[in-house]
Amino acid sequence: MPSTLPSEPKARKGADSARTSRLVIGAASLVVLVLVWRFIAFLVGKDILLPPPEKVLGEALSLYPTGKFLAALWATFLRGSAAFLVSLVLGSFVGIAAGLSPVFSAALAPILTIIRATPVLALILVVLLWFPSGFVPVFAAILMCFPVMVTSTVAGVKAADPRLLEMAALFRVPRKEQLRRLRLPAAAPFFLAGAKNSLGMSWKVVVGGEVLVLPFRALGTGMNNARINLETPQVLAWAAASVLLCGLTEWLFGLAIKAASRHGI
Amino acid sequence: MAFELRNIHKSFGALRVLDDVSLALEEGSITVILGPSGCGKTTLLNVLAGLAAADSGERRGFEGLRFSYAFQEPRLLPWLSARENAAFALAGAMRREEALARIDPLLEAAGLRDARNRKPSELSGGMKQRLSLVRAFAYPSEMLLLDEAFTAVDLKTKLELMDVFLELWTEERRTVVSVTHDVEEALYLADRILVLSQCPARIIESLDIGLGREERAFGSATTMEAEARLYALVLGKTAGSSD
Repeated sequence: MPSTLPSEPKARKGADSARTSRLVIGAASLVVLVLVWRFIAFLVGKDILLPPPEKVLGEALSLYPTGKFLAALWATFLRGSAAFLVSLVLGSFVGIAAGLSPVFSAALAPILTIIRATPVLALILVVLLWFPSGFVPVFAAILMCFPVMVTSTVAGVKAADPRLLEMAALFRVPRKEQLRRLRLPAAAPFFLAGAKNSLGMSWKVVVGGEVLVLPFRALGTGMNNARINLETPQVLAWAAASVLLCGLTEWLFGLAIKAASRHGI
Repeated sequence: MAFELRNIHKSFGALRVLDDVSLALEEGSITVILGPSGCGKTTLLNVLAGLAAADSGERRGFEGLRFSYAFQEPRLLPWLSARENAAFALAGAMRREEALARIDPLLEAAGLRDARNRKPSELSGGMKQRLSLVRAFAYPSEMLLLDEAFTAVDLKTKLELMDVFLELWTEERRTVVSVTHDVEEALYLADRILVLSQCPARIIESLDIGLGREERAFGSATTMEAEARLYALVLGKTAGSSD
């Protein structure tokens, strides 16, 4: 029997080496960014305009263990997670339906265009009249992330190989089984890309919304209060928390996807 | 004859592919459609299966018929194991337990027992073709269609595959239509060979093989005469075609 299979240990070694290279390049890029920041801060010479990285780090280390910060972080985390999960679930269902039904897709197209074209700031100002301030950033983030999820899922559902669909039709595979075993797995890469974009976007929109509507506990509110007090290092410390939160959740999301993939989900 | 195509015409835009093709298929027999590459063999198979509509002509006896199809490229779902790929095709025909009970012995007969939990990316080309045959056989169809199912592999694998196919077919005789450009393959498998002309395809010869399969090993003296005749037909038409 001819064997055209790649040698597994060799392939794994190659993947490990590529991962290490990516990590090293990523770390080097971060170091360069911090050095450039440090250099520009040195040139500017005024902490109120651009504090150096070590000052922001010191501010962060004193801010992060406080109860005020942790409560704000938790509240923002809940808002971002809620926005992401609602967009994920709603966007996936609507995306699958639009991918399968040209009529539904045509009906949905103008609505998505309007949602996409609406400036998030205008949206937040209007929504503030309808909902309590703590909910406004969530609503705004859902409206921003939902079209991304829908568009990605539609593209994924339509990306199924027509030759596989023809095979399934010939063998009279029920539509439900075709959806479960063929269309959804084929859509997975598109869906995951959409989910990752939505995750990053949900943090940005939630924190941005918080800065505008100032809920009682929120990273955005902390950031805004520091700005009012001209505490620029603290503004950046709050902002860094938002970046870390985004990075951490993206990393956890990646781990969850890998675990799901390992278990054949 | 149980199944018939009559006066089938098919074009793709200005390109005429099938030109007045008529054929009849005997139930439980293997008919091989032999013709040069690009002459319209796959189109003819797709018309038979109902995957492509003819521009004119009649299909008789195909109503409600279930088809199995071993495609030229195996068309396997990359994220499913070999076993699950075969089970996927049977999802509308029977319960999962029945499907697996039907698939497992076929995988064993095709030499894929140890590979049954591997994904297509972990299978060689020959193994994928075998899996495609297993899937086609496992599906409870009345007609089995093979599109160059043995051509994308080396000679040894091809002989193994054809033997696996004949073994499975002997156990459960179904009407089989196989298309190929390979004269020796046609002679090895067929009860009847239909020779197609260059595009637009017409049937230029129908040859009943009057030999038992044990008498027609590859390159055997008994098949030489038929082989020479088929080569003359295919090459003669190829060289001097005025279609």
